[in-house]
Amino acid sequence: MSNAKTISREALPWIFTILWIAAIILALLLFVGAPVGEALSGFWNGAFGGRRHAYLMATLSRSALIVGMAVSVMLSFRAGLFNIGGEGQLVAGGLTAALVAVLLPGPPMLVLAVAIASAMLAGALWALLAGILQLFMGVPLLVGSLLLNYPIRYIASYLVAHPFRDVQSGMVQSHLVPQETWLAYFPGTRLDMGILFTAVAAAFALVYSYWTVHGYHTRLNGLSPDFARTVGLPVRKLTLQTLALSGAIAGLVGAIAVFGIHHRYIDGMLVQPLYAWTGIIAVLLVGMVPWAVPISGFFFAAVQTGAAGMERAAGVPKEIALVVQAVIILFVASRVSGALSSSRGDGDGHA
Amino acid sequence: MQVALNNVTVRFGPVTAVDNVSLGIAPGEIHALVGENGAGKSTLMNALFGLVSLASGSISVDGAPCRWTLPQEAIARGLGMVHQHFMLQEHMTVLENIVLCAEPLGRFGFVDFARARARLDEIARTHGVKVDHDRLVGRLSVGERQAVEILKVLYREAELLILDEPTAVLTPQEKDRLFATLRSFRAAGKAIVLITHKLDEVMEIADRVSVMRAGHLVASSSLEDTSKEEIARGIVGGELPAPRTRRVQEPGAVVLAVDEIVVARRGRDVGPLSFQLRAGEIVGIAGVSGNGQSELVRALTGLAPAVSGSIALCGKDIVAFDVEARRRQGMSYIPEDRQRMGLALGASVSENAGAGHDDRNAFAAGPFLKHGAMADFARSLIERYRIRVAGPRAAAATMSGGNKQKLVVGRELSRNSPLVIAENPTWGVDIGAIDFIHGELMRMRDEGHAILLVSTELDEVIALSDRILVMYDGAIAGDVSGGEASRDRVGALMTSKSADALGKVA
Repeated sequence: MSNAKTISREALPWIFTILWIAAIILALLLFVGAPVGEALSGFWNGAFGGRRHAYLMATLSRSALIVGMAVSVMLSFRAGLFNIGGEGQLVAGGLTAALVAVLLPGPPMLVLAVAIASAMLAGALWALLAGILQLFMGVPLLVGSLLLNYPIRYIASYLVAHPFRDVQSGMVQSHLVPQETWLAYFPGTRLDMGILFTAVAAAFALVYSYWTVHGYHTRLNGLSPDFARTVGLPVRKLTLQTLALSGAIAGLVGAIAVFGIHHRYIDGMLVQPLYAWTGIIAVLLVGMVPWAVPISGFFFAAVQTGAAGMERAAGVPKEIALVVQAVIILFVASRVSGALSSSRGDGDGHA
Repeated sequence: MQVALNNVTVRFGPVTAVDNVSLGIAPGEIHALVGENGAGKSTLMNALFGLVSLASGSISVDGAPCRWTLPQEAIARGLGMVHQHFMLQEHMTVLENIVLCAEPLGRFGFVDFARARARLDEIARTHGVKVDHDRLVGRLSVGERQAVEILKVLYREAELLILDEPTAVLTPQEKDRLFATLRSFRAAGKAIVLITHKLDEVMEIADRVSVMRAGHLVASSSLEDTSKEEIARGIVGGELPAPRTRRVQEPGAVVLAVDEIVVARRGRDVGPLSFQLRAGEIVGIAGVSGNGQSELVRALTGLAPAVSGSIALCGKDIVAFDVEARRRQGMSYIPEDRQRMGLALGASVSENAGAGHDDRNAFAAGPFLKHGAMADFARSLIERYRIRVAGPRAAAATMSGGNKQKLVVGRELSRNSPLVIAENPTWGVDIGAIDFIHGELMRMRDEGHAILLVSTELDEVIALSDRILVMYDGAIAGDVSGGEASRDRVGALMTSKSADALGKVA
């Protein structure tokens, strides 16, 4: 009896949340005069459907980048390091990956490996820069990491607009990376293998967070920096190492975007879709609980592609589609973050 | 104001914090509420004050039943509470803090500070509580801050005052002034509830005493009808621990040698300080809080750099070492602030217990944690130190203050380092836990460890120390050997210039 009671107590708020979301979306759709049924099926189809699940693949492809960025952010945030410079680290990685692949001769697999490794190194170094600014110049990480997003963005713009521009294409973008280095698609789909790299990064982050000494130490630092100092943890070293790790994963995501999706560096390709910022929200939504981060990232990707699908299928104006997206995220956030943070002790119990 | 709590029960999830307690609080009476940490005293008062809700039972004020959901309603009804941790805005003046949320409004909705000042002057005349209205709270001493808290409550015309361990942070002189103020309130017909751990204070000032243990009210009687021993037995629920006996032993080799050390402090530097600590002795550092003890401790542990001077631990100069290297060289540290420095409250008991252990291999296989080994170690601490907690996986935040402290003490002492620095190791901890922690420190001493006990509790320093160094104004004012230490002698050194050092409080 008490069991049924608990279930109804847990489920009820969710039902209300869904009703609220439905009511607001309905009001919005009626307001713009869009066909409700088509809009909703367009949303669902846009996120998970399509011929041979083409849209689901698009969602997965987008998740690969969002989850990757979310994992990168999570590692920093759990260590108490508010590194919001994921965007800069992502750009550093993507730019480096593209340039290395374009410039470096050699067997394609080797070029790919070197390019990915350099991308991770570039991301790590860009993140370290923010850490060095904090530890040695006293620039708060929150400020330093954010401000470092801008120089790298414009350095990248300059490099692909001038020295390394593919002039013939007429666009501000680099030359294509050699076709042999492109990540293959899964057979019969338009989903590239890049998501496997994200899966490995996510698996690594879970193992790191729950089962490694380093993850344990950084978590203690994240929970209480004074405590970490008092028991003699090497706080500065941990800070720099964690930032490097976080930046390396962001750099990897940049490389995935280059080799899996765009096959070159296009100006703004990593900045405009707000991958890094979506990653931050995805992490905050689930209160930094590691196992929930990939799920959260997937949810964000689905809402974004779903909104685009609604726009296509039912002619809902793009702006309204974006409002719908925001409404869903807002309401789900109000439920999820509350639930996870109140059971924080349980959620992290086996950590 | 006559307040009655009838069959009050408070539950936190599955835990019953207060179980069917009935208590009457009468006007013109100082009612002491005593009990171990976690016995439910503060919870009961929080329930009365509307900070936690009742699972069952009722509260009545002057015979009329009351049920408030917000502390504001309780304040409006004439209740006032001074919390153990002050709730003041440091960047505002005393006056601004006092009127906050009860601002007297003049015409056009501006705050009428003149009227507030007049009210406070009147309070100062009646009860003798006075603090300079225009000083920033951040610059006040602890005793003065407490006076501000009390003024806040009086300003709202409270008829019932609840004070949660008000003397824990006060010097003896400040305590005397507080008690004089409380007596004046009693004479004015106010009801006062005093939550405390210190039985001497109960005997000194209370009219009625109620004892709580494990959520139950075990005794409630007027002071004449009971005795200190009876109250103490009620608190611990059995016989009292025997007084501690000190084994006579010759101190061994020098473990810690501090030479002419100077530490930076806002205003004037602390030091130069020089002293030695030998194996098998407890050296107590006594002094009123804020006379340079915390600076000294921070310099010893490596949390703050020393300006000059040298520190040798087991024959090695450690001035250039960081915290970790010092701990490896043979230092353990029980910090005063268990909430912030002693524990990571969001982490589990097991994670807290394993932190800062030298032998990394005990809890790790390569880069991976051995959760099992960590949990086993935590379980051994829980057992050995009789820590009351759900288990190794429970969050550290779920423990009561005394149990948190036992976990910190257990973790640090189990490192078995030659030097142990214990900073107010029994602050805000109940009688049972105090006795246990004292016993552990004494055992460490008998086993030949060197212990530096930094404490503002004079009784603690005198009871445990082989030698006592008294700090005053950033310097060592005196060195008293434990045998000849008398309260008066140490007390005099503690307050060499007491008149101007203690401020103009209450």
